[in-house]
Amino acid sequence: MIFIEKRKYWSKTLMILAIGMQILLLASCKHDDLTIAAPNENIRPAGDFVKNNYEMRLFYAALKKVGYADELNGAGPFTVLAPTDEAFNRMGVYNPSDFDKMNQDSLKKVIGYHLMPRKLRVSDIPNNGIDVRYTTLSDADLYVSRASSNPNGGAENELYFSGSEVMRQDVVLANGTLQVLDNVMKPNFNKTVQAWLAGHPDYSVFVSGLKKFNLWDQLAGTAEFTIFAPTNEALKNLGITAASLNEMDTSKYEGDLLFGVYLLYNKHFFVSDTQVFSRINSNGSFNYYLKDSSYYMTFGGGKLYPTFKLGFGLTLRPGGPTGSPIQSATGSIVAKNDNLCSNGLVHHLADGMVTPEQAIKK
Amino acid sequence: MKKIKLFQMNTTFVWLVACNFLLLTSGCVKVEYSKIKEPAYLRVFNNLNYVQTLGSKDNKVPFFCMLINPVVDASGMPVSAEIVGDFLDQRDAYAPPYPSHIGNSTSVNNPEYPGKENVLVGPILNGFDLSSWAQVPSGKVRIMFAYRPKNTVPFFQLENHLKKDILIDTTINLTNQEVYTLHLLQKDFVSKKTGVLLRQEIFHKLPLSDSLAYVNFYNMSAKGYWQADKSLKEDNFLLASFQWGMKDDMNVYLSLYEDQNLMSKNGATVPGYKGKYFASVKLNTESPAVSPYSSFPIWASKSANGITTNIWQRFDFFVPGMDITTNPFYDGSTDNGGNWVSVNCLRNGQLRMESNDNAAILPNLLVNIHSGLNNPATFATVNTIEVVNGKVYLTTVQRKYAPPIY
Repeated sequence: MIFIEKRKYWSKTLMILAIGMQILLLASCKHDDLTIAAPNENIRPAGDFVKNNYEMRLFYAALKKVGYADELNGAGPFTVLAPTDEAFNRMGVYNPSDFDKMNQDSLKKVIGYHLMPRKLRVSDIPNNGIDVRYTTLSDADLYVSRASSNPNGGAENELYFSGSEVMRQDVVLANGTLQVLDNVMKPNFNKTVQAWLAGHPDYSVFVSGLKKFNLWDQLAGTAEFTIFAPTNEALKNLGITAASLNEMDTSKYEGDLLFGVYLLYNKHFFVSDTQVFSRINSNGSFNYYLKDSSYYMTFGGGKLYPTFKLGFGLTLRPGGPTGSPIQSATGSIVAKNDNLCSNGLVHHLADGMVTPEQAIKK
Repeated sequence: MKKIKLFQMNTTFVWLVACNFLLLTSGCVKVEYSKIKEPAYLRVFNNLNYVQTLGSKDNKVPFFCMLINPVVDASGMPVSAEIVGDFLDQRDAYAPPYPSHIGNSTSVNNPEYPGKENVLVGPILNGFDLSSWAQVPSGKVRIMFAYRPKNTVPFFQLENHLKKDILIDTTINLTNQEVYTLHLLQKDFVSKKTGVLLRQEIFHKLPLSDSLAYVNFYNMSAKGYWQADKSLKEDNFLLASFQWGMKDDMNVYLSLYEDQNLMSKNGATVPGYKGKYFASVKLNTESPAVSPYSSFPIWASKSANGITTNIWQRFDFFVPGMDITTNPFYDGSTDNGGNWVSVNCLRNGQLRMESNDNAAILPNLLVNIHSGLNNPATFATVNTIEVVNGKVYLTTVQRKYAPPIY
């Protein structure tokens, strides 16, 4: 009897199991009503996040000044490229009131250039993507470079927006992401490199020199240039001043060497490109002959010792790659480099390259 | 007792109902198999190679979407296509006999078509496994290569202005059940003219022995590449002597080495196979003619047992008038003015030689793989070695072989 009871028990269990399996089978066909954990609603929107971050007080002041602060608390999505206060300080902006002195329209465009109407995380940018362009709230595109992996081995994830390094990546916001920039980006929108140089009296001797040697007009065209602009002080150290330029006889000097040495034709290089390519393929330099000349220039750079901030170096050799260098110059003032213009970039050079004596025609 | 029996019947009934339910719920799917009527078999390589450098950062990256029989709208923008080979990257140095190597990756970038694409592939023709060839409609087909940004967004989901940059838009004529390789090439290094070369392969029609390994050679470099200044060529030491190009007319010499575990070109060679004249190769980017196949016996080595052999191959390309005995250059010399280039084919091609060497490295022509009870068993293959500008490529085709028994 006990045996039968046991069998009965098992049969019953089997039946329940069979029915249970049937229910499971049918239930597994569709998953319409999955419940998932409610997302955390305590993450702040972009505007509030920047407002409450003491490292970004100046950026917030600028956002408020030009009227983006409230917009950034909207639905989004946004990507905020937030330069730190230190970055603004390096440009000579120390107080929120300093923004009052600026042209409000230009300020709005530059600040809008730091905001993107999309959610852009590092992983959204193609591996080893160079100069990938994204739209901003201003009318010009951003250039993004991501050094993610080296074919010789090793993984990096360095990210640069129009030449500015991202110090902290992918800060999560309720309506987007935030990337902390080491530098304020310097877009000049429709301004050509010529117009940019003309508007900066620091480089007035350089400008006069370009004009005198017929190198000036080409800078207003559509061809691209990377210009390493020597300051008046740098040229003075080489013996070139506004006065001495006036007396110079252009037929006796090689203009393509004396002033052409600061022009790199048909390329637009951010200083950060040197760092990016030294990561991507262990070679962050570019070698070229000066226009119509046997002088050989090496442009290289990266994060320079001892500050480990981005900088570049130029080395000039006569006759080709094996010539012994006649002059080297370094541009390491980050805040003054990477002036992005419509037809190229202007970098700041504190040392000159060629003296008038070296450029006398033979 | 009776009660129990009744209960058992009940159980059977429940099971029946359950089975019916199962049949009902699972029987709803209708499977439609895709099929191409009268297919031709096509394999596509993008031979426009590049290296990312600071100086070339503004150059357009030759990264394409291949469209066969595209539908274009009024503005000339493709809106759909019969066959789409997206993310077509520059080709790999090695095109393996089976697409399994290529499928082992998480990147969408495709080193060849079909490669990673999940499409209908070719059958086994005369013993040769064509699973690296895709089925495409035969007849006159329009083929388009459109530049695309190097990201992971599928071509037709890109923004419209990115879909209009077409490099090549041409028609090719494919015959039913024929085997083709299509090469996207740079035809002139100075003018940067590009074009396609469609080659109708014949290896499956030839009476090839399965104890000989066959190779043919092509030089599909751009006109003027080897003559051009070094500063215009990509500087990549892994390409060794090939990186500066080779002359338009070259002779190929074969050396067979005994042991591929000895990664040195100074190791022992198989008697009779040291710098043996093997073939000649001429620059050609226009004619679709198949180069003649040259062969060497796979059991040439005395240590071979008829199942497996450990030999590897080295090919020296010399300008006519020069050979391995009159070679004026020193061993490691890579910059030889295009007069001497060489390639070692051993193991998986992903290693560095121990000897001072100027050779590029490719995988062994012979496939050593676990088959049946033999691990490894060596298989004869049919190979194509193609030189394009500064690079050398190997395509290996293999017969269907027995699966491994463990």
